[in-house]
Amino acid sequence: MADAMCAGLPGKTPPRTWGRALLLTLPIAMWSLLMSSHGMVQADRPLKMASALTAAFLIALFFLMMKTANTYRWRRWYFVALGILFPIEFIHNVMVLRGSMGIPIEEMIAGRTPFCFLPIPLLILPAALTKTLVFPGSILPGGGMAGGGMAMMVGLWLAITLIVGKGWCSYACFFGGIEEGMAALPKKAKWSKLDPRLRLVPWAVLLAMVLLSLALFEPAYCMWLCPFKAVSEYVAARNTVGLVQNGIFVVLFAALVIVLPLLTKKRTQCTFLCPFGAFQSIFNKTSAFDIKIDRTRCSPCVLCQKSCPTMSLTDDSIKKGETLMSCMKCGACVDACPKGAAVWHIRGTEVAVKPEKARLMFLYAAWATAVMLGGTIITQGLATLLQRVM
Amino acid sequence: MKMPTSKLGYTAAGVTLVMAMLVPFLLMGLFAKGFTKLGLHVDEMYSGGPTVRTIQKEGYTIAIHRAVYPHMMQTERPFVQMDWKPVAALPDHVTDTVDIDGEGRPGVRVSFDVPKDPKAPLRVNVDSLDPRYQAMHGVGKPKFSELIVRVDDGIFVRVPLSGR
Repeated sequence: MADAMCAGLPGKTPPRTWGRALLLTLPIAMWSLLMSSHGMVQADRPLKMASALTAAFLIALFFLMMKTANTYRWRRWYFVALGILFPIEFIHNVMVLRGSMGIPIEEMIAGRTPFCFLPIPLLILPAALTKTLVFPGSILPGGGMAGGGMAMMVGLWLAITLIVGKGWCSYACFFGGIEEGMAALPKKAKWSKLDPRLRLVPWAVLLAMVLLSLALFEPAYCMWLCPFKAVSEYVAARNTVGLVQNGIFVVLFAALVIVLPLLTKKRTQCTFLCPFGAFQSIFNKTSAFDIKIDRTRCSPCVLCQKSCPTMSLTDDSIKKGETLMSCMKCGACVDACPKGAAVWHIRGTEVAVKPEKARLMFLYAAWATAVMLGGTIITQGLATLLQRVM
Repeated sequence: MKMPTSKLGYTAAGVTLVMAMLVPFLLMGLFAKGFTKLGLHVDEMYSGGPTVRTIQKEGYTIAIHRAVYPHMMQTERPFVQMDWKPVAALPDHVTDTVDIDGEGRPGVRVSFDVPKDPKAPLRVNVDSLDPRYQAMHGVGKPKFSELIVRVDDGIFVRVPLSGR
C-alpha cells in the first residue's frame, strides 16, 4: 500500500520489478554465499544450517530493500536479529569457557578479557602518552578469550569506519539492536517531547570517560557505565564497589535499552549516553556518503525528524538541508519522507541528483560489511540455538 | 564548477565499494598488523610486567617480575609479581624464601597450600624479611596489587611494596 502510494510521488523511488530487484541483489547474494561458505562446509550440522539460514535471511532482506526501495524497515530486521543473537552466543560462550558472566581476576591477568569496540576512544590518550593499553586483554590477533584480540577488533573497526563512518552504529554495532527492537514495538511514542539538548550528553560522557580513563588508568566506561555489561560480561564483584558497578549496569540497561525506547521510540542509549557513538560521529566526515534534505521538495512536515531514532534532525538542520553529524545513516528519515525530500547523497555531488544511485552504492558497501561482521555473529548465535534443539 | 567535485565524489564512493570487498581479505588484517606494530603493551597492573629473573627450585621455578608502579590516580599499590611454575611440580604446601632483588638477601618468605582442585580458592601468607616488601596474611585476591591466583600452569603471588 505504502509502496503504491510512493510510486506516484515525485522524487520517491518507485518499487522495482521482481527481475530488476533480483538482478540488483545478485552481487550481495554472491557475497553472502562467499562469506557463509566456510560455515556451510563444516561437519557441524547446526553450524551448517545456521550459515545457510543467515545467508538466506540477509539476501532476502537486501532483495526487499531493492524491491521496495525502503531501507530502514528491512535493515531493522537484520539489526534486531544481530542485537538479540549476539548476547545469546556471547553468554553461551563465556558460560562454557568459564561458567560465569563475571570476569574473574585470573582471566584479566591472563589477558583473556574479550575486547569490544566500545572502549576504543578511552584507550587513545593513555596509549598516546604512555604506550599502555588500559584494558586487561590481549593485543595480538588470535589472543583474548575466543581469539578476539584487541588488534583484530581495532583493525575491523577501522576498516568498517572508513567505509560507513557513523553508519557503524546502524550496520555493525552488535549492541544497538535490542533497543532498536524495543523502539519498534509501540505504534506511537508516549514521550515525544524530548529536550534536544540531551543529544549533547554523549559528548559530555565521552569527555568525562576519556579523562577518567587516563586518570584512573582503567576503561572507565566499561567499569562504571556500560549498560551492555548486563547482557555480556562484567568484572566479577569482589567487594561493595563491584556490586554497585553491576547494579548500575542493570539499571542503565533496563532504563535506556528497554523502558525508554518503548516510551520514546528512540534509540535512547545511543542518543543519550553512548560515548563511542559520539566518538564515531567524528568519522561521519570520512565517509563518502551522507543524507541530505532537498529543500526544494521539503514542506516541511518534520516526519523525518520524528522518525529519526537518534534525534539527528532538528528544525535548523532541516532548514540547512542536512542531518547532524550524529546521523547513523539508518535510512529512517528517507523512508518516512512522503515527498522524497530526504535523500541519500554522495559528498561532492549535487543534492537529489540520482539519489537512488547514492543509496545503492552506500547499501552495497554497508551491506557487504554487515554480511561479513553481523552475518558471522548471527550465524554463531543461530548455531548456538540450533545446538540446543537438535 | 560542480563537475570536478561530483567526479571526486563518485570516485570516492567507488573506492569505498572496493574497500568494503577488501575488508575481510586485506584491510582488517592490514590494520590489525599496523596496530600490533605501534609498540603498545597491556597495562602492567593487569599483565604483571616482564620477568626479570628466574630462581630454580627442586622441580619448579619462581619467576620474578619487574616491580609495577601505578600510573596517575590508579588506586592500586606498587607491587612485585612472582610466578610458581609448573603447578604439577609443586608440593602440597609451598614455603619459599625469595630473594626478590637478587642482592643475596631474602626479601620475603611466601607460603601457600597447593590444592589438587584447580578451582579451589588459594590463600597466601607473606612474611616481610625486607622493609621494602609488605607482609600479607591469609590473602586471597582482593586487589591487583595484593593477591594469589592460579593462571593456567602457574600460581602467581603479588606482594605490595612499602612506601606509597
